[in-house]
Amino acid sequence: MGKIVFAGAMSHVLDPDYYQRACGDEGRRMVTDCMTEIARMGKRFSATGADALIVVADDHLNAFSFNAVPALCVRIGRTVQRMKQDHAEAFDAVLDHMPEQYPLHEDLANQILEQGLGSGFDLAMSWEAPVDHAFLSPVNTMHGTRPIPPLVPIWVNCFVAPQPTPKRCFDFGRHIARVVAASRWNVGIIATGGLSHFPELSLPRVGETDTVFDRKLVHWMERGEHEPLQELTVGELHKTGEHEFLNWMVLIGAITPARAQVRYFGELRRINLAAVEWSLP
Amino acid sequence: MSRYAVNSLLYRLKKEPEFRARFEADAAAALAGLDLSEAERAAFVAHDMRRINELGGYLHLVMSVPGLAAH
Repeated sequence: MGKIVFAGAMSHVLDPDYYQRACGDEGRRMVTDCMTEIARMGKRFSATGADALIVVADDHLNAFSFNAVPALCVRIGRTVQRMKQDHAEAFDAVLDHMPEQYPLHEDLANQILEQGLGSGFDLAMSWEAPVDHAFLSPVNTMHGTRPIPPLVPIWVNCFVAPQPTPKRCFDFGRHIARVVAASRWNVGIIATGGLSHFPELSLPRVGETDTVFDRKLVHWMERGEHEPLQELTVGELHKTGEHEFLNWMVLIGAITPARAQVRYFGELRRINLAAVEWSLP
Repeated sequence: MSRYAVNSLLYRLKKEPEFRARFEADAAAALAGLDLSEAERAAFVAHDMRRINELGGYLHLVMSVPGLAAH
């Protein structure tokens, strides 16, 4: 019988140079501290000897063009490539030093996909979509030079309205938990992004965060109070810059009713940084 | 306003270096024939990413088109 042996969520723009440019010395110091905690989480994950790592993240309009934007998409196949962008700007530039190819856990991905279609989740699938910093910054920060286990990348449409609801994401997480439990694998799961930044996806509001809302989310996660999280609306997440919390909702559904432990929380005017780990039975 | 027109154009500018080079050389000519409103066309010709964002351009695109990105 399979088991989820590790669960963590974290911010995913993890590049000291990016924050130096955006926020000065304070930004560099804070993201470095956050990355230190994520690396510690990675060591604990590696110690589990997990067979696979599910990574729930979003597309920043890199993998999917406007001919189709899937609400939930499972990456299948045997390997996945790092997104490449010529003359990369901003958060795209953080990918440049990372390995170009990563192994996938083909069987687990196929089971999440196939059993999902069989139980009411009309999931999209992709054999070719590359992964950007939302996946690779946390994965590489967690592992450093240690081997990265086979991945199962899963995209949630966090940005292109209409998005899936927080409740739907939570329910999809429950599905993942059922698939893992019925499998023979020990699996880690991470969700990435956030916390509050870019409210209403408005350029003039870049630099604003909603720390009060962040602390409310953290409070519920720490106490294992997942009902109010499921009652959140996409509109609330849009207003408060919590778009990427949809990724976290998938993870929370997968490990409910486990309680979270905050490893790092830092209020930074561009993006509130966080690293959270769940205590699993 | 057309959210599709604005964003599909931003996506091309980000992902197609040859199209981006034509746009940088002569924006109005590169946009000829595209289904854009006058306001959208003017914003692109002016390289006004803030206005493009107001017209429905997704933030992550207006922040990441090489050479044109707003920060």
